[in-house]
Amino acid sequence: MAVFNSRDRVIECKLVYYGPGRSGKTTNLEYIFKAGKKYTNSEMVSINTKGDRTLFFDFLPIGLGKIRGCDIKVQLYTVPGQAKYSSTRKLVLKNVDGVVFVADSLQIRRKENFLSLKDLQQNLAEQNMSIFKIPLVIQYNKRDLGEQGIPIMPVEVLERDLNSKLKVPSFEASALKGKGVGDTLKKCLVLTLHHLQKELKWSQ
Amino acid sequence: MSDKEHIKSLIKEAEIYRKQSLLEPSKEKYEEALRLIQNHESYSKGKKLIDTIKSKIRTVEENLVEIDQATDTPELSQEVENLISQLFSFSKNKDVAAMEGAIALAKFGQYDNALAAFRRLIKEGNMPLLAAKNILMCHMTLSSPDAAIAQFRQWVSRDEFSMKNLGYIRTFLENALLKQGIKAGLPQVAEASPEEGKPEEKEEDIIDIASVTIQFTNGPRKGEIVEFDVTFQLGNKISTIIPAHQKDLADAFKPGLRLSEIQCFSSLAVFNGRGTVSGLKRITSGPRRGDYSLDITIDSV
Repeated sequence: MAVFNSRDRVIECKLVYYGPGRSGKTTNLEYIFKAGKKYTNSEMVSINTKGDRTLFFDFLPIGLGKIRGCDIKVQLYTVPGQAKYSSTRKLVLKNVDGVVFVADSLQIRRKENFLSLKDLQQNLAEQNMSIFKIPLVIQYNKRDLGEQGIPIMPVEVLERDLNSKLKVPSFEASALKGKGVGDTLKKCLVLTLHHLQKELKWSQ
Repeated sequence: MSDKEHIKSLIKEAEIYRKQSLLEPSKEKYEEALRLIQNHESYSKGKKLIDTIKSKIRTVEENLVEIDQATDTPELSQEVENLISQLFSFSKNKDVAAMEGAIALAKFGQYDNALAAFRRLIKEGNMPLLAAKNILMCHMTLSSPDAAIAQFRQWVSRDEFSMKNLGYIRTFLENALLKQGIKAGLPQVAEASPEEGKPEEKEEDIIDIASVTIQFTNGPRKGEIVEFDVTFQLGNKISTIIPAHQKDLADAFKPGLRLSEIQCFSSLAVFNGRGTVSGLKRITSGPRRGDYSLDITIDSV
Protein backbone atom coordinates (compact mmCIF):
# COMPACT_ATOMS: atom_id res chain seq x y z
CA MET A 1 0.00 0.00 0.00
CA ALA A 2 1.28 3.43 -0.88
CA VAL A 3 2.72 5.61 1.85
CA PHE A 4 1.39 9.15 1.98
CA ASN A 5 3.40 11.52 4.09
CA SER A 6 0.91 14.35 4.39
CA ARG A 7 3.33 16.66 6.23
CA ASP A 8 6.01 16.57 3.55
CA ARG A 9 3.44 15.80 0.85
CA VAL A 10 5.31 12.80 -0.46
CA ILE A 11 3.63 9.73 -1.92
CA GLU A 12 5.59 6.52 -2.28
CA CYS A 13 3.99 3.79 -4.33
CA LYS A 14 4.97 0.36 -5.51
CA LEU A 15 4.62 -1.07 -9.00
CA VAL A 16 5.41 -4.70 -9.68
CA TYR A 17 6.29 -6.25 -13.03
CA TYR A 18 4.78 -9.74 -13.05
CA GLY A 19 4.80 -12.47 -15.67
CA PRO A 20 6.24 -15.83 -16.62
CA GLY A 21 9.96 -16.53 -16.47
CA ARG A 22 12.00 -15.00 -19.30
CA SER A 23 9.12 -12.85 -20.54
CA GLY A 24 11.19 -9.67 -20.26
CA LYS A 25 10.33 -8.12 -16.90
CA THR A 26 13.94 -7.35 -16.03
CA THR A 27 14.56 -6.08 -19.57
CA ASN A 28 11.72 -3.60 -19.07
CA LEU A 29 13.34 -2.28 -15.90
CA GLU A 30 16.78 -2.19 -17.48
CA TYR A 31 15.45 -0.08 -20.32
CA ILE A 32 13.63 2.26 -17.92
CA PHE A 33 16.84 2.59 -15.91
CA LYS A 34 18.94 3.40 -18.97
CA ALA A 35 16.41 5.67 -20.61
CA GLY A 36 15.27 7.45 -17.49
CA LYS A 37 18.49 8.18 -15.65
CA LYS A 38 17.31 11.71 -14.96
CA TYR A 39 14.48 10.29 -12.84
CA THR A 40 16.68 8.32 -10.52
CA ASN A 41 19.78 8.81 -8.42
CA SER A 42 19.91 5.18 -7.46
CA GLU A 43 21.30 2.14 -9.17
CA MET A 44 19.07 -0.68 -10.27
CA VAL A 45 19.43 -3.68 -7.99
CA SER A 46 19.15 -7.13 -9.53
CA ILE A 47 19.57 -10.40 -7.72
CA ASN A 48 20.03 -13.06 -10.37
CA THR A 49 21.04 -16.64 -10.64
CA LYS A 50 22.59 -18.57 -13.54
CA GLY A 51 21.36 -17.66 -17.00
CA ASP A 52 20.43 -14.15 -15.87
CA ARG A 53 17.27 -15.44 -14.30
CA THR A 54 15.84 -13.25 -11.57
CA LEU A 55 16.28 -15.06 -8.30
CA PHE A 56 14.71 -12.67 -5.81
CA PHE A 57 13.68 -9.42 -7.45
CA ASP A 58 14.88 -6.39 -9.37
CA PHE A 59 14.41 -3.02 -7.77
CA LEU A 60 14.49 0.44 -9.29
CA PRO A 61 13.34 3.56 -7.47
CA ILE A 62 12.31 6.52 -9.61
CA GLY A 63 11.00 9.98 -8.88
CA LEU A 64 8.29 11.59 -10.95
CA GLY A 65 8.57 15.06 -9.45
CA LYS A 66 5.53 16.95 -8.21
CA ILE A 67 2.01 16.03 -9.26
CA ARG A 68 -0.90 17.97 -7.74
CA GLY A 69 1.38 19.33 -5.08
CA CYS A 70 2.80 15.98 -4.05
CA ASP A 71 6.24 14.58 -4.62
CA ILE A 72 5.72 11.19 -6.25
CA LYS A 73 8.24 8.44 -5.65
CA VAL A 74 7.77 5.11 -7.34
CA GLN A 75 9.44 1.84 -6.53
CA LEU A 76 9.57 -0.55 -9.47
CA TYR A 77 10.02 -4.23 -8.76
CA THR A 78 10.09 -7.41 -10.78
CA VAL A 79 9.26 -10.83 -9.42
CA PRO A 80 11.11 -14.04 -10.28
CA GLY A 81 9.01 -15.67 -12.96
CA GLN A 82 9.97 -19.29 -12.45
CA ALA A 83 7.18 -21.30 -10.87
CA LYS A 84 9.33 -22.53 -7.99
CA TYR A 85 9.83 -19.03 -6.54
CA SER A 86 6.23 -18.66 -5.48
CA SER A 87 6.94 -17.49 -1.93
CA THR A 88 9.31 -14.78 -3.19
CA ARG A 89 6.65 -13.53 -5.58
CA LYS A 90 4.19 -13.28 -2.71
CA LEU A 91 6.66 -11.30 -0.65
CA VAL A 92 7.52 -8.91 -3.47
CA LEU A 93 3.84 -8.44 -4.25
CA LYS A 94 3.07 -7.39 -0.69
CA ASN A 95 1.57 -3.88 -0.48
CA VAL A 96 1.61 -3.47 -4.27
CA ASP A 97 -0.20 -0.48 -5.76
CA GLY A 98 -0.08 -1.30 -9.46
CA VAL A 99 0.92 -4.21 -11.67
CA VAL A 100 2.40 -4.56 -15.15
CA PHE A 101 1.85 -8.07 -16.46
CA VAL A 102 4.55 -8.86 -19.01
CA ALA A 103 3.27 -11.60 -21.28
CA ASP A 104 5.54 -13.49 -23.65
CA SER A 105 4.32 -13.34 -27.26
CA LEU A 106 6.16 -16.54 -28.20
CA GLN A 107 3.75 -19.28 -29.17
CA ILE A 108 5.61 -21.81 -27.05
CA ARG A 109 4.95 -19.69 -23.94
CA ARG A 110 1.17 -19.56 -24.24
CA LYS A 111 0.51 -21.85 -21.28
CA GLU A 112 3.11 -20.09 -19.10
CA ASN A 113 1.39 -16.73 -19.65
CA PHE A 114 -1.91 -18.14 -18.56
CA LEU A 115 -0.47 -19.86 -15.49
CA SER A 116 1.40 -16.75 -14.43
CA LEU A 117 -1.71 -14.59 -14.69
CA LYS A 118 -3.59 -17.11 -12.60
CA ASP A 119 -0.76 -17.07 -10.07
CA LEU A 120 -0.99 -13.27 -9.93
CA GLN A 121 -4.71 -13.47 -9.30
CA GLN A 122 -4.22 -15.96 -6.47
CA ASN A 123 -1.40 -14.04 -4.85
CA LEU A 124 -3.37 -10.82 -4.97
CA ALA A 125 -6.38 -12.60 -3.48
CA GLU A 126 -4.19 -13.74 -0.60
CA GLN A 127 -3.68 -10.06 0.15
CA ASN A 128 -7.39 -9.43 -0.16
CA MET A 129 -6.85 -7.65 -3.44
CA SER A 130 -8.72 -8.31 -6.64
CA ILE A 131 -7.06 -8.58 -10.01
CA PHE A 132 -10.17 -6.89 -11.37
CA LYS A 133 -9.73 -3.86 -9.13
CA ILE A 134 -5.99 -3.27 -8.90
CA PRO A 135 -4.44 -0.90 -11.47
CA LEU A 136 -3.19 -3.36 -14.07
CA VAL A 137 -1.65 -3.10 -17.52
CA ILE A 138 -0.72 -5.98 -19.79
CA GLN A 139 2.29 -5.87 -22.07
CA TYR A 140 2.68 -8.28 -24.99
CA ASN A 141 6.44 -8.45 -25.21
CA LYS A 142 8.85 -9.78 -27.85
CA ARG A 143 6.73 -8.66 -30.80
CA ASP A 144 9.96 -8.12 -32.76
CA LEU A 145 10.64 -11.85 -32.86
CA GLY A 146 7.81 -12.31 -35.34
CA GLU A 147 9.85 -10.33 -37.87
CA GLN A 148 12.60 -12.90 -37.50
CA GLY A 149 10.27 -15.73 -38.45
CA ILE A 150 9.82 -17.02 -34.92
CA PRO A 151 6.25 -18.18 -34.21
CA ILE A 152 4.53 -15.59 -32.05
CA MET A 153 0.89 -15.33 -31.13
CA PRO A 154 -1.28 -12.69 -32.79
CA VAL A 155 -2.31 -9.95 -30.39
CA GLU A 156 -5.94 -11.05 -30.81
CA VAL A 157 -5.07 -14.47 -29.41
CA LEU A 158 -3.19 -12.96 -26.49
CA GLU A 159 -6.07 -10.61 -25.80
CA ARG A 160 -8.50 -13.50 -25.85
CA ASP A 161 -6.29 -15.62 -23.61
CA LEU A 162 -5.37 -13.02 -21.05
CA ASN A 163 -7.52 -9.96 -21.32
CA SER A 164 -11.02 -11.01 -22.34
CA LYS A 165 -12.30 -10.78 -18.77
CA LEU A 166 -9.92 -8.22 -17.33
CA LYS A 167 -10.32 -5.72 -20.16
CA VAL A 168 -7.34 -3.68 -18.98
CA PRO A 169 -5.10 -1.51 -21.19
CA SER A 170 -2.60 -3.56 -23.16
CA PHE A 171 0.48 -2.71 -25.17
CA GLU A 172 2.64 -4.42 -27.74
CA ALA A 173 6.31 -4.19 -26.89
CA SER A 174 9.85 -5.19 -27.70
CA ALA A 175 11.49 -4.43 -24.39
CA LEU A 176 14.97 -5.21 -25.66
CA LYS A 177 14.60 -2.36 -28.13
CA GLY A 178 12.66 -0.21 -25.70
CA LYS A 179 9.55 -0.24 -27.86
CA GLY A 180 6.36 -0.04 -25.80
CA VAL A 181 8.21 0.06 -22.49
CA GLY A 182 7.54 3.73 -21.78
CA ASP A 183 3.89 3.55 -22.85
CA THR A 184 3.28 0.55 -20.61
CA LEU A 185 4.87 2.18 -17.57
CA LYS A 186 3.15 5.49 -18.21
CA LYS A 187 -0.29 3.90 -18.40
CA CYS A 188 0.29 1.87 -15.27
CA LEU A 189 1.48 4.97 -13.41
CA VAL A 190 -1.55 6.96 -14.54
CA LEU A 191 -3.93 4.21 -13.42
CA THR A 192 -2.11 3.76 -10.11
CA LEU A 193 -1.94 7.44 -9.27
CA HIS A 194 -5.59 7.89 -10.22
CA HIS A 195 -6.47 4.99 -7.95
CA LEU A 196 -4.35 6.37 -5.12
CA GLN A 197 -5.86 9.78 -5.52
CA LYS A 198 -9.24 8.23 -4.78
CA GLU A 199 -7.91 6.07 -1.94
CA LEU A 200 -5.75 8.65 -0.22
CA LYS A 201 -7.95 11.60 -1.15
CA TRP A 202 -4.84 13.54 -2.01
CA SER A 203 -5.35 16.71 -3.97
CA GLN A 204 -3.93 20.17 -3.97
CA MET B 1 8.86 -25.06 -47.30
CA SER B 2 11.72 -27.21 -48.55
CA ASP B 3 13.54 -29.59 -46.20
CA LYS B 4 16.53 -27.30 -46.24
CA GLU B 5 14.42 -24.30 -45.28
CA HIS B 6 12.65 -26.29 -42.61
CA ILE B 7 15.94 -27.36 -41.02
CA LYS B 8 17.31 -23.81 -41.21
CA SER B 9 14.17 -22.44 -39.60
CA LEU B 10 14.33 -25.01 -36.77
CA ILE B 11 17.96 -24.17 -36.06
CA LYS B 12 17.20 -20.46 -36.10
CA GLU B 13 14.33 -20.98 -33.70
CA ALA B 14 16.55 -23.06 -31.42
CA GLU B 15 19.23 -20.35 -31.48
CA ILE B 16 16.78 -17.62 -30.54
CA TYR B 17 15.27 -19.66 -27.71
CA ARG B 18 18.78 -20.34 -26.45
CA LYS B 19 19.57 -16.61 -26.48
CA GLN B 20 16.34 -16.04 -24.58
CA SER B 21 17.44 -18.65 -22.02
CA LEU B 22 14.44 -20.75 -22.98
CA LEU B 23 16.66 -23.77 -22.90
CA GLU B 24 14.16 -26.64 -22.94
CA PRO B 25 12.41 -25.39 -26.10
CA SER B 26 15.80 -24.64 -27.61
CA LYS B 27 16.95 -28.20 -27.02
CA GLU B 28 13.71 -29.57 -28.47
CA LYS B 29 14.16 -27.56 -31.67
CA TYR B 30 17.80 -28.62 -32.09
CA GLU B 31 16.76 -32.23 -31.57
CA GLU B 32 13.96 -31.87 -34.09
CA ALA B 33 16.42 -30.45 -36.61
CA LEU B 34 18.90 -33.25 -35.87
CA ARG B 35 16.25 -35.93 -36.41
CA LEU B 36 15.29 -34.38 -39.74
CA ILE B 37 18.91 -34.26 -40.86
CA GLN B 38 19.72 -37.80 -39.74
CA ASN B 39 16.68 -39.16 -41.58
CA HIS B 40 17.35 -37.16 -44.71
CA GLU B 41 18.73 -38.92 -47.72
CA SER B 42 21.41 -36.37 -48.61
CA TYR B 43 21.87 -34.26 -45.44
CA SER B 44 22.49 -37.34 -43.28
CA LYS B 45 25.90 -37.64 -44.89
CA GLY B 46 26.93 -34.18 -43.69
CA LYS B 47 28.90 -35.22 -40.61
CA LYS B 48 30.04 -31.66 -39.87
CA LEU B 49 26.47 -30.33 -39.66
CA ILE B 50 25.38 -33.22 -37.45
CA ASP B 51 28.36 -32.72 -35.12
CA THR B 52 27.69 -28.99 -34.87
CA ILE B 53 24.08 -29.55 -33.85
CA LYS B 54 25.04 -32.28 -31.40
CA SER B 55 27.57 -29.92 -29.86
CA LYS B 56 24.91 -27.22 -29.52
CA ILE B 57 22.57 -29.69 -27.82
CA ARG B 58 25.37 -30.60 -25.40
CA THR B 59 25.96 -26.92 -24.59
CA VAL B 60 22.28 -26.36 -23.93
CA GLU B 61 22.19 -29.46 -21.72
CA GLU B 62 25.20 -28.19 -19.77
CA ASN B 63 23.48 -24.84 -19.29
CA LEU B 64 20.37 -26.62 -18.05
CA VAL B 65 22.41 -28.54 -15.49
CA GLU B 66 24.18 -25.35 -14.38
CA ILE B 67 20.86 -23.61 -13.86
CA ASP B 68 19.43 -26.59 -12.06
CA GLN B 69 22.39 -26.72 -9.72
CA ALA B 70 22.66 -22.96 -9.18
CA THR B 71 22.28 -21.88 -5.58
CA ASP B 72 18.99 -20.43 -4.50
CA THR B 73 20.66 -18.54 -1.70
CA PRO B 74 23.51 -16.56 -3.19
CA GLU B 75 25.87 -14.55 -1.06
CA LEU B 76 24.69 -10.97 -1.13
CA SER B 77 26.60 -7.83 -0.37
CA GLN B 78 25.88 -6.08 2.92
CA GLU B 79 24.36 -3.25 0.91
CA VAL B 80 21.85 -5.56 -0.79
CA GLU B 81 21.01 -7.26 2.48
CA ASN B 82 20.34 -3.90 4.08
CA LEU B 83 18.15 -3.06 1.12
CA ILE B 84 16.17 -6.28 1.54
CA SER B 85 15.65 -5.55 5.25
CA GLN B 86 14.53 -2.06 4.40
CA LEU B 87 12.27 -2.88 1.44
CA PHE B 88 10.50 -5.74 3.09
CA SER B 89 9.78 -4.20 6.47
CA PHE B 90 6.37 -2.68 6.15
CA SER B 91 5.43 -1.62 9.66
CA LYS B 92 5.55 1.98 10.83
CA ASN B 93 6.58 0.73 14.26
CA LYS B 94 10.38 0.79 14.31
CA ASP B 95 10.73 -2.33 16.44
CA VAL B 96 8.25 -4.34 14.39
CA ALA B 97 9.93 -3.11 11.21
CA ALA B 98 13.30 -4.34 12.51
CA MET B 99 11.75 -7.74 13.10
CA GLU B 100 10.12 -7.78 9.65
CA GLY B 101 13.46 -6.89 8.09
CA ALA B 102 15.15 -9.80 9.84
CA ILE B 103 12.34 -12.15 8.80
CA ALA B 104 12.71 -10.94 5.19
CA LEU B 105 16.38 -11.90 5.26
CA ALA B 106 15.38 -15.37 6.41
CA LYS B 107 12.74 -15.61 3.69
CA PHE B 108 15.36 -14.72 1.08
CA GLY B 109 17.57 -17.47 2.40
CA GLN B 110 20.14 -15.18 4.00
CA TYR B 111 20.09 -17.31 7.12
CA ASP B 112 23.43 -16.30 8.59
CA ASN B 113 22.58 -12.64 8.52
CA ALA B 114 19.01 -13.29 9.58
CA LEU B 115 20.38 -15.18 12.59
CA ALA B 116 22.68 -12.26 13.38
CA ALA B 117 19.75 -9.85 13.11
CA PHE B 118 17.54 -11.98 15.38
CA ARG B 119 20.38 -12.27 17.92
CA ARG B 120 20.76 -8.50 17.84
CA LEU B 121 17.05 -8.11 18.51
CA ILE B 122 17.31 -10.39 21.52
CA LYS B 123 20.24 -8.38 22.83
CA GLU B 124 18.29 -5.17 22.38
CA GLY B 125 15.29 -6.68 24.12
CA ASN B 126 13.19 -6.16 21.00
CA MET B 127 10.59 -8.93 20.81
CA PRO B 128 13.10 -11.45 22.20
CA LEU B 129 10.64 -14.34 22.24
CA LEU B 130 9.71 -13.94 18.62
CA ALA B 131 13.37 -13.48 17.71
CA ALA B 132 14.23 -16.68 19.58
CA LYS B 133 11.49 -18.60 17.78
CA ASN B 134 12.76 -17.33 14.45
CA ILE B 135 16.32 -18.32 15.29
CA LEU B 136 15.08 -21.82 15.95
CA MET B 137 13.03 -21.81 12.73
CA CYS B 138 16.10 -20.65 10.76
CA HIS B 139 18.06 -23.61 12.12
CA MET B 140 15.19 -25.97 11.38
CA THR B 141 14.82 -24.63 7.83
CA LEU B 142 18.52 -25.16 7.31
CA SER B 143 17.75 -28.78 8.17
CA SER B 144 19.82 -28.46 11.24
CA PRO B 145 17.67 -29.50 14.18
CA ASP B 146 20.84 -30.21 16.14
CA ALA B 147 21.82 -26.56 15.86
CA ALA B 148 18.38 -25.55 17.09
CA ILE B 149 18.72 -27.89 20.08
CA ALA B 150 22.25 -26.61 20.78
CA GLN B 151 20.97 -23.04 20.64
CA PHE B 152 18.24 -23.85 23.13
CA ARG B 153 20.76 -25.51 25.46
CA GLN B 154 22.89 -22.39 25.25
CA TRP B 155 19.94 -20.20 26.23
CA VAL B 156 19.18 -22.47 29.14
CA SER B 157 22.77 -22.20 30.36
CA ARG B 158 22.74 -18.42 30.18
CA ASP B 159 20.54 -15.70 31.68
CA GLU B 160 19.20 -14.37 28.42
CA PHE B 161 15.60 -15.47 29.06
CA SER B 162 13.42 -15.80 32.13
CA MET B 163 12.27 -19.27 33.17
CA LYS B 164 8.78 -18.46 31.90
CA ASN B 165 10.04 -17.59 28.45
CA LEU B 166 12.45 -20.51 28.36
CA GLY B 167 9.54 -22.81 29.09
CA TYR B 168 7.61 -21.27 26.26
CA ILE B 169 10.56 -21.54 23.85
CA ARG B 170 11.06 -25.13 24.92
CA THR B 171 7.46 -26.02 24.06
CA PHE B 172 7.78 -24.26 20.73
CA LEU B 173 10.98 -26.13 19.84
CA GLU B 174 9.61 -29.43 21.07
CA ASN B 175 6.60 -29.07 18.76
CA ALA B 176 8.75 -27.97 15.80
CA LEU B 177 11.00 -31.01 16.28
CA LEU B 178 8.05 -33.35 16.64
CA LYS B 179 6.69 -32.10 13.31
CA GLN B 180 9.92 -33.35 11.76
CA GLY B 181 9.58 -36.64 13.61
CA ILE B 182 12.35 -35.83 16.07
CA LYS B 183 11.91 -36.56 19.74
CA ALA B 184 14.76 -34.77 21.43
CA GLY B 185 15.68 -34.77 25.09
CA LEU B 186 15.54 -31.04 25.59
CA PRO B 187 16.81 -29.76 28.93
CA GLN B 188 14.01 -29.12 31.39
CA VAL B 189 13.43 -25.67 32.68
CA ALA B 190 12.07 -24.91 36.15
CA GLU B 191 8.39 -25.70 36.43
CA ALA B 192 6.16 -22.63 36.20
CA SER B 193 2.58 -22.29 37.39
CA PRO B 194 -0.02 -22.26 34.60
CA GLU B 195 -0.26 -18.49 34.86
CA GLU B 196 3.48 -18.06 34.94
CA GLY B 197 3.76 -20.44 32.01
CA LYS B 198 2.37 -17.82 29.69
CA PRO B 199 5.05 -15.94 27.82
CA GLU B 200 5.92 -12.49 29.05
CA GLU B 201 5.86 -11.15 25.53
CA LYS B 202 2.33 -10.70 24.35
CA GLU B 203 1.56 -8.08 21.77
CA GLU B 204 5.01 -8.19 20.27
CA ASP B 205 4.99 -11.93 19.99
CA ILE B 206 2.47 -12.11 17.17
CA ILE B 207 3.61 -11.03 13.78
CA ASP B 208 2.90 -11.47 10.12
CA ILE B 209 -0.27 -13.53 10.34
CA ALA B 210 -1.50 -14.27 6.84
CA SER B 211 -4.83 -15.84 7.73
CA VAL B 212 -6.82 -17.21 10.63
CA THR B 213 -9.46 -19.84 11.16
CA ILE B 214 -11.91 -19.27 13.96
CA GLN B 215 -14.14 -21.86 15.52
CA PHE B 216 -17.28 -20.65 17.25
CA THR B 217 -17.41 -22.28 20.65
CA ASN B 218 -20.88 -21.10 21.66
CA GLY B 219 -24.02 -19.45 20.32
CA PRO B 220 -26.05 -20.53 17.29
CA ARG B 221 -22.93 -21.06 15.21
CA LYS B 222 -21.27 -23.32 17.77
CA GLY B 223 -18.82 -25.70 16.07
CA GLU B 224 -18.73 -23.77 12.81
CA ILE B 225 -15.28 -22.89 11.48
CA VAL B 226 -14.68 -19.80 9.39
CA GLU B 227 -11.51 -18.69 7.66
CA PHE B 228 -10.33 -15.15 7.04
CA ASP B 229 -7.34 -13.59 5.35
CA VAL B 230 -5.70 -10.93 7.48
CA THR B 231 -5.82 -7.59 5.71
CA PHE B 232 -4.05 -5.53 8.31
CA GLN B 233 -2.07 -6.22 11.42
CA LEU B 234 -0.60 -4.06 14.10
CA GLY B 235 1.07 -6.04 16.83
CA ASN B 236 -1.53 -8.41 18.22
CA LYS B 237 -4.45 -6.65 16.57
CA ILE B 238 -5.55 -8.12 13.28
CA SER B 239 -8.20 -6.91 10.86
CA THR B 240 -10.09 -8.83 8.28
CA ILE B 241 -12.90 -8.14 5.85
CA ILE B 242 -16.28 -9.84 5.80
CA PRO B 243 -18.10 -9.31 2.50
CA ALA B 244 -21.37 -7.37 2.61
CA HIS B 245 -23.41 -10.40 1.56
CA GLN B 246 -22.23 -12.28 4.66
CA LYS B 247 -24.04 -9.96 7.04
CA ASP B 248 -25.20 -12.90 9.16
CA LEU B 249 -21.60 -13.89 9.72
CA ALA B 250 -20.59 -10.33 10.55
CA ASP B 251 -23.44 -10.11 13.06
CA ALA B 252 -22.04 -13.14 14.84
CA PHE B 253 -18.91 -11.17 15.76
CA LYS B 254 -20.25 -8.80 18.39
CA PRO B 255 -17.53 -6.61 19.89
CA GLY B 256 -16.38 -8.16 23.14
CA LEU B 257 -17.05 -11.71 21.96
CA ARG B 258 -14.43 -14.08 23.31
CA LEU B 259 -12.82 -16.32 20.69
CA SER B 260 -11.08 -19.23 22.31
CA GLU B 261 -10.28 -21.24 19.17
CA ILE B 262 -8.20 -19.21 16.73
CA GLN B 263 -5.67 -20.85 14.48
CA CYS B 264 -3.15 -18.40 13.05
CA PHE B 265 -1.23 -19.10 9.86
CA SER B 266 2.02 -17.24 9.29
CA SER B 267 4.69 -17.96 6.73
CA LEU B 268 6.94 -19.39 9.41
CA ALA B 269 4.53 -21.24 11.65
CA VAL B 270 0.97 -22.16 12.45
CA PHE B 271 -0.11 -21.52 16.01
CA ASN B 272 -3.26 -21.53 18.10
CA GLY B 273 -4.45 -18.51 19.97
CA ARG B 274 -7.30 -16.85 21.79
CA GLY B 275 -8.66 -13.39 21.41
CA THR B 276 -11.53 -10.97 21.58
CA VAL B 277 -13.54 -9.18 18.94
CA SER B 278 -12.36 -5.61 19.44
CA GLY B 279 -14.31 -3.94 16.66
CA LEU B 280 -16.77 -4.45 13.85
CA LYS B 281 -17.73 -1.67 11.51
CA ARG B 282 -19.31 -1.21 8.12
CA ILE B 283 -16.93 0.23 5.53
CA THR B 284 -18.54 3.36 4.15
CA SER B 285 -16.18 4.37 1.37
CA GLY B 286 -13.65 3.03 -1.09
CA PRO B 287 -13.69 -0.19 -3.08
CA ARG B 288 -14.75 -2.22 -0.03
CA ARG B 289 -17.76 -0.03 0.68
CA GLY B 290 -20.55 -2.06 2.25
CA ASP B 291 -18.26 -4.81 3.52
CA TYR B 292 -17.49 -5.25 7.21
CA SER B 293 -14.14 -4.64 8.85
CA LEU B 294 -13.63 -7.02 11.75
CA ASP B 295 -10.91 -6.35 14.34
CA ILE B 296 -9.67 -9.07 16.65
CA THR B 297 -7.19 -8.64 19.46
CA ILE B 298 -5.20 -11.78 20.03
CA ASP B 299 -4.23 -11.95 23.66
CA SER B 300 -2.65 -15.34 24.02
CA VAL B 301 -0.98 -17.90 21.83
